[in-house]
Amino acid sequence: MATATGTRTEILISGFGGQGVVRMGQILGLCAINQGHRVTMLKSHGTETRGGYVRAQLVISPEYVDSPVVEHADVFVAFSQPAYKKFYDLCDGTVMYDPELFENVVDDAPERHLAVPATKLSKEKFSNQLFANRIMLGALTRVASLDYEAMRKAMLEVIPRFHEQNLAALDFGYRLS
Amino acid sequence: MNKLAAKYLRPSQIPTKACHGCGLGMIENWLLQAIDELGFKQENVIFGTGIGCVGRQTFATWGGDNFGATHGRALAVATGLKLAQPDKKYLIVVGDGDAASIGTSHLIHAARRNLGVTVICEDNMGYESTGGQFSPTTPANYVTNSSPYGMAEPGFDPCDVVKAAGATFVAETTATQWHQTVKIVKKALQNDGFSFVHVRFPCNENFGAYALGTRDTLKNLEWIYEHTQGRKPDGSETDFTWETGIKHDVSNSRPEFSKIMRDMNARVQADMAAKAAAAAGDDKTRDDGHGTH
Amino acid sequence: MATLTVSTRVGLVAPWVEWEKRCTDGRRLLEAGTYALTEGAIAAGCRVFAGYPITPATDIAEYMSKRLPQVGGYYVQSEDELAGMHACAGASLGGLKAMTATSGPGYTLMHDAYGWSITNEIPMVVVDAMRVGPISGITGAPGQGEFYIARYASHGGNFETIVLSPSSVQEAFWLTIDAFNLAERFRTPVTILTDQVISDMWEDLFIPADYDALDFVIPRKHNLMMPFYPVGSADLDVPPNLIGRGTGVCVSAYTHTEEGYDIEDMAAQWAQTYRLINKIRHHTDQLARYETLGLEDAEVVAVAYGANARTVKTGVLEARRRGVKAGFVRPITLWPFLDELYERDCRYVVCELNYDGQLVREVMRAAPDKKKVHFMGKSAELHTVAEVAAGLEGVARSNRVPELPYIWTEVR
Ligand SMILES: Cc1ncc(C[n+]2csc(CCOP(=O)(O)OP(=O)(O)O)c2C)c(N)n1
Ligand code: SF4
Ligand SMILES: [Mg+2]
Repeated sequence: MATATGTRTEILISGFGGQGVVRMGQILGLCAINQGHRVTMLKSHGTETRGGYVRAQLVISPEYVDSPVVEHADVFVAFSQPAYKKFYDLCDGTVMYDPELFENVVDDAPERHLAVPATKLSKEKFSNQLFANRIMLGALTRVASLDYEAMRKAMLEVIPRFHEQNLAALDFGYRLS
Repeated sequence: MNKLAAKYLRPSQIPTKACHGCGLGMIENWLLQAIDELGFKQENVIFGTGIGCVGRQTFATWGGDNFGATHGRALAVATGLKLAQPDKKYLIVVGDGDAASIGTSHLIHAARRNLGVTVICEDNMGYESTGGQFSPTTPANYVTNSSPYGMAEPGFDPCDVVKAAGATFVAETTATQWHQTVKIVKKALQNDGFSFVHVRFPCNENFGAYALGTRDTLKNLEWIYEHTQGRKPDGSETDFTWETGIKHDVSNSRPEFSKIMRDMNARVQADMAAKAAAAAGDDKTRDDGHGTH
Repeated sequence: MATLTVSTRVGLVAPWVEWEKRCTDGRRLLEAGTYALTEGAIAAGCRVFAGYPITPATDIAEYMSKRLPQVGGYYVQSEDELAGMHACAGASLGGLKAMTATSGPGYTLMHDAYGWSITNEIPMVVVDAMRVGPISGITGAPGQGEFYIARYASHGGNFETIVLSPSSVQEAFWLTIDAFNLAERFRTPVTILTDQVISDMWEDLFIPADYDALDFVIPRKHNLMMPFYPVGSADLDVPPNLIGRGTGVCVSAYTHTEEGYDIEDMAAQWAQTYRLINKIRHHTDQLARYETLGLEDAEVVAVAYGANARTVKTGVLEARRRGVKAGFVRPITLWPFLDELYERDCRYVVCELNYDGQLVREVMRAAPDKKKVHFMGKSAELHTVAEVAAGLEGVARSNRVPELPYIWTEVR
């Protein structure tokens, strides 16, 4: 798989509104920018956010990104069944999902599916599910071979509150796989 | 040209193309008298207008700076202009079509904001430059070229509208009331806020001809005068009466729009300066002039 | 008449190529196009924003409401878009640089104010973040339906317009400064025709540290004497008129004299029109902003602007990888239309975000052979790289765009 430090990397994140989809993309994007990369992020908009899904499409590249559209995702983080179903075909790489949110995944490519029990772990460790997104981000940092230190800094820059828990959650996710 | 006109108007633009006997020129003279009595300098008064007889026949007559907006939009333009030139006096001379129909939303919101301008709505009770159709100020049952069976729609009183919207000075007068009009306009111009002066005047060519059956200036003026008194010369009551005079005067009681904006800016900038000073003593705070999410 | 020599070597021709090299001190952010448009305006010295919120331009209004008071400027939430643009005209006449922003439904309400601002030569910037229509269409989806409306932004004819379109967040920043500069130099409203994707998209964005140090920003100057309207002249860099200094300037909706007096006369109509048209037509060389790729050997050239120019460009590269001699033209200046970009005698594939075909008609007019101009219209979503590559390949191999779902190819 291409990594954010090599050539063009496409990351697709999707779920329902309120699951931190855009926020996750923002942290990811800022992390890459701080490391000198070029980044685009398309986020879904308007009625889409109320109806079915929120989607963030990120492209990270050392060069200027021409097409910002994710047509062959290297990583797809799916936070909901509808989002998974809708965008699965756009992913050529790894699908990360939370088995607590949905379990019904395509079984033709088990090696491409990575179950990250983020919600369960968040509940266990923080006694609520608020930090599941950050656990997933930690896991993604590892999967996409992104710089862990840079990710920590970007996260703190983007999210003004709960620094301690967020750092712990990120760390937890990063050390999972 | 009379003395006032010679002092304030542009010789090249006088006389205007208004019909003979039209009340527009006379009212403009009264406005000049008010300005003169207040001692305003020509360069400190901006003259704005719209489209229609009122707009076209007054545009560029004023010797100072002039703008003639599109139909109804004079107050929209003035809203931006006032922010850039807050210390000027604004005389916004518009028709009933400009003010009470096509530009009513701007009128209402200028009043709401307490925009520091004086609107002189010169009301000839119809759209006269397009040949005499009714407007929201045409009295009930009167015949115009678009109300051949009599004005059927209910009208409204623009004074009520602006008062409800928050105007700080509202008055009504007519072309038959010279001294009252000058007094009212002087008061209006002394309000640092939104002033609205409704002046009815006769259009001989259209409203006079079709609604009143005469192009005679005196007869048309007389008809207006009777309706300010509620009585005809024979002592009988008129079909309706206009109450003229000052309708609402809370001049200078609330801040003018551009001042509100400037005060807010001062507050925001003082806040920023305080934060910057605090940050200078605390290098952990990030200096961030731009937006964050 | 100005002539334009199209550079086939330099990829991007725009003033900000130089600006970018000179600005090194600043911050790199991840920000949205709306943010870049706002900051570009602030950097250019914009001090009044008057507008009415609408997706996807709403964030510009919100950013402006925050930023303008910080720099001593004014945010006016106008009662509608028509009032917003008129208020901008008023502010600009009073000496402040001004901007408004909207999308299609608001843009169509502005024609009256456009006409007034164009005829009175009032500088300002208008952003139209296009979305799919007609009317409210699909609110959160991109479109390119105002290509012609932006050209004919008012009724009555007898004028030219300047319309620019950015295709990245960074470019939106520089281009906004450029738009303000052009508005000053040409004394006219300049339209930034962007789209929902560029407005809403987040991208790495370099923001210079000190806006005051940007010496390429053209400051507002004031014309304090006659002629207020240099009718009959195509001169550039005539400072804008100023209301409030007692110069006696007259600004109106009518055909005017040098003084600004209304006049009904053929000679005056001619002289005014000469000015409004030729101040732009005679200086198209100063207005040319575009990007090209592969024009040296291209047999088929993809043409696109704004957001979908990005997927289209990738599509061109993909087609080249597959052995197609593909080229790319991205007009940034949409109006005046840069005919010279289409001088090459080859096939063209015009990709735009509408099904009716707008840009394609101009390319047909400008290209040597209109029968060699093909159309790939799409609506509400960007062209995919795969679609573009397939289209170019089809045209290169068999002179036609293959049938693809949701791609419209007919132009009548
Ligand atoms: C947008 C627009 N609609 C219509 C017109 C045509 N028109 C010009 S003046 C006018 C009516 C003017 O009425 P009013 O404001 O009362 O001025 P008056 O001529 O009566 O003095 C109309 C309908 C116009 N110029 N612009
Ligand atoms: S049409 Fe009426 S309002 Fe217009 S100039 Fe003639 S008399 Fe005056
Ligand atoms: Mg009238």
